[in-house]
Order: sequence, then structure tokens, then C-alpha cells
Amino acid sequence: MISDLLEELDSEVSKCISCGFCESVCPTLPAAGYDLWKGARGRVIMGRELLSSVQNHGSLNVSDSFYSCLDCHACLYVCPAGVNAGKVSHLSKSVIAGNGISGNRNPLAEMMASVTMRYMNPLGIREKCAEWFQGMEVDTGSGDLLYTGNMYQLMAYTHGMNRLREKIGKGMSRRMSSLISRFPWLIKLAPMKRDETASRRMDQSLSNIALLLRKSGISFNYLGKEEPYPGTFIYDLGYLNLFREYAGKVAKILRDSGAKRIITIDPHTYDLLKNVYPEYVEDFGIEVVHYLDLIEGSAFKGGNENITYHEPCHFSLREQAYNRPLETLRSVASVNLPPRSGRRTKCCGGPDELLFPELTHKISQNRYEELQETTPQKIVTACPICFSNLNKGPEVIEIGDYLVSKLKN
Amino acid sequence: MDHINGLSQILGSNLITEREQKIPYMTDASYYQGDLPLAVALPDTPEQVAAVMKYCQDNSVPVVARGGGTALTGSSIPLKEMLVISLAKFDKVLEVHPEDRYAVVEPGVKLDNLNQHLSRYGFFYPPDPASSIAATVGGSISTNAGGLRASMYGTTKNWILGLEVVLPSGNIIHTGGKVLKRTAGYDLTALLVGAEGTLGIITKAIVKIWPLVESKGRILAYYDTIEKVGSSISELKGKGITPLIAEFMDKITMHSLSETRGLTFPEGASYMLIVDIASTRESIDRELKQAEEVLRKFNPISTEITTDQAAMDRIYEARKGAYSSLLSERSSMSERVVIGDIVVPASELPMALKESEEKARKYKLTVALFGHISDGNIHANIYADIADQDHMSRVEGFQHDFAMIAIKHGGSVSAEHGVGLEKKELLIMEFEETGNQYMMEIMKSIRKAFDPKGIMNRGKMFDQ
Ligand SMILES: Cc1cc2nc3c(=O)[nH]c(=O)nc-3n(C[C@H](O)[C@H](O)[C@H](O)COP(=O)(O)OP(=O)(O)OC[C@H]3O[C@@H](n4cnc5c(N)ncnc54)[C@H](O)[C@@H]3O)c2cc1C
Ligand code: SF4
Ligand code: SF4
Repeated sequence: MISDLLEELDSEVSKCISCGFCESVCPTLPAAGYDLWKGARGRVIMGRELLSSVQNHGSLNVSDSFYSCLDCHACLYVCPAGVNAGKVSHLSKSVIAGNGISGNRNPLAEMMASVTMRYMNPLGIREKCAEWFQGMEVDTGSGDLLYTGNMYQLMAYTHGMNRLREKIGKGMSRRMSSLISRFPWLIKLAPMKRDETASRRMDQSLSNIALLLRKSGISFNYLGKEEPYPGTFIYDLGYLNLFREYAGKVAKILRDSGAKRIITIDPHTYDLLKNVYPEYVEDFGIEVVHYLDLIEGSAFKGGNENITYHEPCHFSLREQAYNRPLETLRSVASVNLPPRSGRRTKCCGGPDELLFPELTHKISQNRYEELQETTPQKIVTACPICFSNLNKGPEVIEIGDYLVSKLKN
Repeated sequence: MDHINGLSQILGSNLITEREQKIPYMTDASYYQGDLPLAVALPDTPEQVAAVMKYCQDNSVPVVARGGGTALTGSSIPLKEMLVISLAKFDKVLEVHPEDRYAVVEPGVKLDNLNQHLSRYGFFYPPDPASSIAATVGGSISTNAGGLRASMYGTTKNWILGLEVVLPSGNIIHTGGKVLKRTAGYDLTALLVGAEGTLGIITKAIVKIWPLVESKGRILAYYDTIEKVGSSISELKGKGITPLIAEFMDKITMHSLSETRGLTFPEGASYMLIVDIASTRESIDRELKQAEEVLRKFNPISTEITTDQAAMDRIYEARKGAYSSLLSERSSMSERVVIGDIVVPASELPMALKESEEKARKYKLTVALFGHISDGNIHANIYADIADQDHMSRVEGFQHDFAMIAIKHGGSVSAEHGVGLEKKELLIMEFEETGNQYMMEIMKSIRKAFDPKGIMNRGKMFDQ
């Protein structure tokens, strides 16, 4: 397994000619004060170093270089040699997580992985994640399964977690994380604070998505507090063996629910289920769609409000770009795109929020300013992570909420 | 360790000392690998740069400045315990004055970002090396970078009005000024352009800017021999037509573009000529036709004119990305595409190109030729297996002979990429072959006047 990873890593880093083009689009580099190892070319170079350290049993303290990568893949689209520094980081994290090199495992990452494995939710709060649905009807006989993946719901906790980490200090937080990773049940004792304003906003977005589906005549099933988190963190942090096991469990739950079609609602879950699950779960075979695929354009009144759309990386920077949100928005408003858009869209910084909150803060502020420069009446996001990081002014709105405001009466 | 203490007192958290964090600074876009630097300084004010420089001069610590690290000659990598001074944090466009035709820019601004900023004013900064996405203002000044538009606008040296420079002594000097003309003493601005970080550290630049072209069109002409390509361009220029861009590509390059970008070329075409004409909206069509008539005199296989922006962008991007396309045709991952870069007077091009092709055959190398034909710049893109000693010695042999072609035809061994580590010997050869041995002495004396202890980019351009 490690040897396969190393081989793949080798073939990716060997293509690099060190031109530095990727550095110019990598959001983490300026946010990290231009410390090269936290930029795209630096990560490819460190990938090469990692390989040689593993082969020569050397020591290398390299984890921050890779764990700070946003996995946005912006670098891939400017690389003349077709290198993906995001992939290099992911492979390197996988080598670290697979004990290919010692002394580099990240306690917080370990904690997230072990809590998720135990509770099928990275914070052990599956019940809370189902609260938004209270009082709503599900169609248990429907083959359409609404799958939130708990992503919107978790957003109400991330800022709180960071405040807690700031309060107790870095060292203490690492120690606590190590402890929880060994005894995952301890997470239940952690003073996890939900941001109630964020929670209400996210619940509202979830309800609006459900409303949009109903308005388009889709009746769906929903698993409520049995709904598992899809395992995004475990995969992103490189715990590939755990992920294989975990994804298998999730797939079984989804299958057992009678789902014929999974309706995802955020880009991370959509990308993971559509592109990664088939590789890790034998005969996954369930159709995966995004809820906007099912929304009928005729439900909306047209309009020419001047809006700016921030495209999520997991839609625009994946092999198959997913442009349905943009098309839908174009049918209801006059849409601007910032200079960095399409295959050059820029990450909101969200994926770094738990491990490198200071990077996230700088990246999201910078992206927000870029979006604002287009002087829109509204800035529309299509991802709970993007929304929660770019929500720095009253003009920022999630796509589901925006579309509901454009429904015909 | 003492130096680390001394430097961290000046730089605080703007100093990188951890081994792992220093490793990425050992590399630029060349095939040279630098040494692990003493440390990396990321200053954020000219005063901080000045304090660092003074410390380094007083303590004889050698330094290397780093911009985008896209140099192809090894000029931005550290050697033996050097301090890397990265100008990355100097990343702002400070002033834009369209009415006076200048902008004040920090050295770490990337060229594409500068042009994106200037486009809001309807202006641009013409130097456009193919690396403009990642190359910085400071680095491109220090290598006197050229590019596609040099045909009409010249290279970087034509666009720099003044500089703020920190000298090794820690003194900050201001050369030139915010004016388009100036004759007051030696032109130190010109001296610093192309100095490859051997004289001082640029912390600010006053650059000339120009209104965006109102209208442009493109002629594509395909030929079966290189002589015809060269003659077409000579005739065009002889008729007083200055193209905005004039680029040529050979068959290997065209093949890689059709593989990677799906471009198609007429049957039998061995060379492609791209000529852009800039003009007013009213006269662009007429001027394009005139230029096409000149090109047609030399029996092209075919010609076509386009003013469609999307089609023009596609070809411009393809030409700018020709190096990338060639890379994708590598036969193994240890193969690099080493770029030879010479210049000859434009009228000598047909012969120089023919001889370059002969040399490629002599050394049994795959060499793709393309370049900025109107200013006589040829890029020989050599497929080089850096893991194969024999292959690399043939590459070296070719580079030597390629440089000799430049000298023989009255040109230079380095058109736009600079000297760095790669061309130190070729530079001496150029001086010797042209009876200019004394030039090296003058350059060394100038260097001494700026940098008495020789701490700046030691070992590049000259040996000490
Ligand atoms: C794919 C590719 C295509 C290229 N195409 C072209 C082309 O078309 N035309 C062309 O001319 N070049 C080209 N180059 C070469 C290179 O990109 C240019 O020379 C570029 O101008 C270097 O800029 P940089 O910011 O990367 O400088 P760096 O590589 O960082 O530095 C270059 C030199 O300048 C010095 N330096 C950097 N900043 C400062 C400063 N502030 N003060 C003093 N010294 C400084 C360094 O010490 C070094 O000696 C290409 C390179 C690549 C990889
Ligand atoms: S753009 Fe590609 S080839 Fe260039 S440094 Fe980055 S990974 Fe390497
Ligand atoms: S994936 Fe994104 S964050 Fe990671 S190296 Fe590439 S551009 Fe940078």
C-alpha cells in the first residue's frame, strides 16, 4: 500500500520542471507570508524530499507543508507539465497517515479520523445534525435520498472549536486531540459550543433546499439522526485504509435505506460520492446527483439583479466541472464572475479552518475583497464551507436561500 | 548560528531558519540545484532590506535576491551558505499615473497581476516573458526579460524609468525618476537592468506604461523552408511595417501543439509564422492586407488573417505555452527541455536557423526551434535527459555551437534569459571572440564599486 503511494507520488513529482507557475495561483502561499513550503511548488519539492527521506530512512518534519494544502487543485490548471500539487499533498498525507515516515502525524487530524470512525460524525453529534428536519415529512418509500452529509450542520461548530483551541493554547489543544484520538468517547465531554446564529442560518439553508426540491415535485427520503457523515475528512487527511472501511459502512447504510438516487447538497459530498466512492467501495453503483440537477427552471421568476457568484473548487476545479449552479443563477439574475473564476476560481480557504485557522482567515478575507470589487448587490456561494468563511457582510447568501427568494409565488 | 541571531534581531518572524522550510528555495526553473541556504529573509520594508544588507556586508554573508524563482539559468538559487532575500512580500502596485505614463510598483508584483491591475485604466506594461504568470517585476528587471511583444515594444530595459535600490552598504539609492526623459549623469537605472542581483536589491520600480492597443489582427503564414520565413520578416520590416508580435515555430513545436491543444496546420507546412499587426479600428483591415501581401511574396503554403479575439487568444496562448506543449512530449520523466536562447540580427536569421538545425543533427539531439523572429531571438528547446551523462555532454556541445552561431552572425549568447550559472563561460567566450576581453574587467570594476566585498549573488555571472 505505502509502496503504491510512493510510486504514485514519484510519478507526480517527477513531471515537475520547477517553473513556479503554480505558486502564482496557490491561495495558501501569500496567506503563509510567502513561506515557500506552504505553496504549490514548495509542496511538490517537499514531496520529492519525502520520497527520498522514506527511501533513505531519513528524518523530515514536513507535515505542515502538506496539511496546509486546501486540495483546491487551482495549481493543476496552470501547470505546464500537468502536475497537481494538491494530489502531491494528498499522497504525502496518505504516506504520513500510513506510517510511511515517523514523527509527522497531526494530532488534530488523528482525532477527527478516530471520532468519525466511532460516531460516523467528526464531532460525534449526529443527533444534533438532524434537528433542522424536525416536524418535516419524509417519504420513506422514495428511492430519492436527500443526503446532507452533515456538512451544513457542522459549520455551526467550526468557529467555536477554533475559539476553544485559541483559549486553551496550541500545546494543550494538541495534547487534548491526541488523547481524544485514543479515546474517541472523550469528544462527548469536550465543551463543544454551537454558534446559534450560524446554526439558525444553516438550518434555514437546509430547509430551503428541501423546499426547492418539493417545489420541483421531488419527494424524498431522509435518514435523520441515522444519517452518516460521508468521511470527507478521513479521505482528505490521507487515512485511506480507514476511509475504505468507513466508506463501505456508509455505502451499506445508504443502500439499506433503499436509495436508488442520492441527492447531495454540497460540493464536497457531491465530489466525494461521485468521484471517490466508486474507487473505494466495491460496486457502489448508486446514482449521485446534486439537488440543483433536479430543480426546474420554470419555478423561478426571472430578474436582473446584479450578483457575483463564487464558484466552489469541488465544482469548478475537478476533472468534470459542474456548472449547474452558474446556469441556474443565470436564469434568475445578472451574474458577474470575479477575475478568478471558472478553471481559475480561488478557494475560500475553508478546508484549512481546523488545522490552520490563521491561513483560512487571510484567504477568506482576500477572496471576499476580490468578490466585493465586482460591486454586486449579492455575493452568492454554493457551499456551506464557502458561505461560512465568506459571510463577512449582509450581501453574502447561499444559493438555495437566494433561489427561494426568486421562486414564483 | 551567530548570523541567525543577528539576522533575527532585524527580521523577527520574517526569517526562516528551519531546514525543511529552506529546501524549496534551493530551486529555480533551471536544471541547477542550489545549496541549502543559511536562512531565508522575507523582509517587508526597504528599511528592513537595508538593515539586512548592512549586516551581510559587515559580516561578509553572501546573499541572493529572489523574485518569482523562474530564472532558467540558475541565477536565483543560493550557493554555499548564502542568505536568500525573497522580495515576495513587496507585492503591491503603489501608484498608477496614466496621464504621465508611469506606475510605481513593488518588485514582488507578478507581471500578469500588474497588467491585470493596469487594464482597469486602459493601460499595460509591455514586457511579457512567457513566464509572466509567475515572474516578478524585480526579477524581470534584473534579467532584462523580453517576450513576445518585444518586437514592437522592446525588452524590459525600454520600460524602466527609475529604481529604488538597496546597496550592500545598506544605503538606499533612487535612480532615474518619474519622467520619460532624463540626461543627468551615468544612467544607473540602465546599469541595474539585467544585473541579475549582483549590484543591489531593487525595492521599488517606476515603470513606463502604455495605452492598450485599440485594435489588432493576426496573420498566420505557413512555409516549407526557414529561409522563406526569415526573408518574409526582413521584407516586412524593410517596408516599414513593425509587427506587434512576430513569432515562428518549427515542425516539432507545431506537432506538439496539435497534440496538446488540438491546433491544426496545413499539409506540408514545416514552419509557421505568426504576425500580429496593431492599428486603429479604421485602418486595421487595410494594414493586415498590406502585411499579408508582403508575406505572400515568398510562396507560403498558405496564409490566413483573423481578427476574431477568441481565435487570436487561442493561438497566443498556444505560442506562450509552446514550452509546456513540448514538455508533454518528453519520452521519460528525467528528461527536461533545456532552453537555448540566442539572438542574431534579424536579417541573419535564415542562415542562423539553418545552422542551428544542422547542429542539432550533428549532436543527435531532438531540438525544437521557435522564437521571436522579428528581433532575431531563437529559442532552441533541447530535449535533455539530465540523468544521462552522455546525453548531457551532447547538450553542452550543442549549447556551445549554438552560442558560436550567435557570435558568428553578430549576435549574443544570451538574448533574454541572462547569464546566471549557465552561461558564465559562454559570456567570456562572447567577449573573447569579439575582441572585448576588457569588458569583463569593466564589469568587475563596476561590481566592486557597488559591492566591494562581493557578497551579491557571488558565483553568478562571474566566478567570484
Ligand atoms: C516557462 C518559462 C518561460 C520563460 N519565458 C521567458 C521569456 O519569454 N522571456 C524571458 O526573458 N524570460 C523567460 N523566462 C525566464 C524567466 O522567467 C525570466 O528571466 C524572469 O524575468 C525572471 O523573473 P523572476 O521574478 O522569476 O526572477 P528570479 O528567478 O527570482 O530572479 C532572476 C534574477 O533576478 C534577481 N532578482 C530577483 N529579484 C530581484 C530584486 N528585487 N532585486 C535585485 N535582483 C533581483 C535574482 O537574484 C536572479 O539573479 C522563462 C522562464 C520559464 C520558466
Ligand atoms: S507549475 Fe507544475 S511544473 Fe511548474 S513548479 Fe508547479 S508543479 Fe512544477
Ligand atoms: S491544491 Fe490549492 S492549496 Fe494545494 S497546492 Fe494546489 S493551489 Fe495550493
